[in-house]
Amino acid sequence: MIVVRAPLRISFVGGGTDLPDFYHRRPGRVISTAIDKFVYVVVNRTPMIDRVTARYSITESVEKLEDLKHTRIRAALASFNINKSIEISSFASMPSKTGLGSSSSFSVALIKALNAFQGKKVDAGEAAEAASHLEIHLVGEPIGKQDQYAASFGGFNVIQFNPDESVNVTPVLIDYKKKLLLQDSLLLFYTGITRAASSVLTEQKANIDSKLQTLSEMADSVPEFAERVMRGDINGLGAMLHQGWLKKKSLASNVSNSTIDDLYNAGIDSGAWGGKILGAGGGGCVLFICPTDKKDLIRESVKKIASEKNLNEFREIPIKFVQSGTEVLYNGDQFQAPIA
Amino acid sequence: MKEFIKNFSEKVQTSLKNLPEEEIAKALNILEAAYERDGRIYIFGNGGSMALATHWVCDFNKTVFSHNLDKHHRRFQAIRVPTTDEELTAWANDVGFDMVFVGPLKNYLQDGDAIIAISSSGNSPNIIKAVELAKERKVSVIGISGFEVSNKLNQLADAKIFIPAEKGDYFLVEGIHGIILHMMVRYFKDYFDHLIEREPKNDF
Repeated sequence: MIVVRAPLRISFVGGGTDLPDFYHRRPGRVISTAIDKFVYVVVNRTPMIDRVTARYSITESVEKLEDLKHTRIRAALASFNINKSIEISSFASMPSKTGLGSSSSFSVALIKALNAFQGKKVDAGEAAEAASHLEIHLVGEPIGKQDQYAASFGGFNVIQFNPDESVNVTPVLIDYKKKLLLQDSLLLFYTGITRAASSVLTEQKANIDSKLQTLSEMADSVPEFAERVMRGDINGLGAMLHQGWLKKKSLASNVSNSTIDDLYNAGIDSGAWGGKILGAGGGGCVLFICPTDKKDLIRESVKKIASEKNLNEFREIPIKFVQSGTEVLYNGDQFQAPIA
Repeated sequence: MKEFIKNFSEKVQTSLKNLPEEEIAKALNILEAAYERDGRIYIFGNGGSMALATHWVCDFNKTVFSHNLDKHHRRFQAIRVPTTDEELTAWANDVGFDMVFVGPLKNYLQDGDAIIAISSSGNSPNIIKAVELAKERKVSVIGISGFEVSNKLNQLADAKIFIPAEKGDYFLVEGIHGIILHMMVRYFKDYFDHLIEREPKNDF
């Protein structure tokens, strides 16, 4: 059995510039950090059972790989030429479609686990690239590749997407004091509204031509955001997040909606310096940057809105930043390559 | 005599003023990531560098936590390889001196671990062999070296802690290596003390 763990992430600015229609013209850039919420993928070899079994929100067990309904597991297994005697399960500390990148964290963990299953080791860059290829090319999802890199590398990074498909991951080297200061200044709420990133990104993709200037400004603001993180300028980060959110809202009609606007405005009116919706938009999580002494007030006012809007799943998610990326936590597979 | 002391001290000061800050920061990130996933950190070196390795293991495993020994849910797992003199001499005598680190390391090294290789020249064959094993297994490598920037360890490492010096000036290079290793201890000691101070009821 092999157990792989991949972190979720929160992204600050530059989302959307990781779509190929943008970065093929100009380098895209995002800044994000891995957090202490994880997706786990477990792969088990079943030499005495010829089937392919996948356990996620449902359990599927098929004789022929092509009958498997889970698109990413099916495509991944096909690309590894595995078509029998395997069992794959996933576990997560959060529901899916929250805007924390969980579907790509799953893909990176799956890629790393299947490599380990075949006795191969891959580094963070290789795993991220393979997961991006799986989701974008093999499955055909209209998504970018920031989440695969964020999950694979872990830590706090500026990720740049180059026109030639290469990706540079540059760690933002902050000491623990600044890291904890920023961490303490964040408030994250799960709205309880779920959406698939692809629904928002399809419209956003269609709009890329007309929004090129806005997207360029978003990509260009990333180095300044990183610099403010290094300086510990939390107030300034809040203002940048707010500007970024206004820009992101202009990219597609369904990035926001009245419920999200009301939640966001409640936070700002109660003293937050800035904020944004995490993920492609339309639902997921709301993130605020705020003075620590305003946290209780913000909590109170957004919870009030959530209850008025009957968001039953609405809740605060306490987070810590993590440095580790996607890791094989346990490899007890008996068919591993010998030591020498 | 005073002039000799002054000259040496000036070299040390110049070196300290030009520490590879970014690479040290990357090394701290590698160590923090290993801690989070409960990985182990293997450290090794020849001669004086082996003494640095052993000294660091003591400080990193114990001194980092000494103010709050029982308040963290786990501690670092730093291990010097080889762990016994018997393994060192057995590998050297039976197989070859180039095997003294990579031989024992193969018994231990898992995904999620990290290694610290210390070599003033950065070219010791036994060090490079062990580093190559880590690279092959995609395990993060902190390389602590000196003299020529083109040395093999510096080329291979993920965090390239390199101290430029005249060839053969082991005294300067090993001294600065010792300071950097102590700096790593101090960083995590302050960090973990701080975590306990701000949330005394939590464990980390």
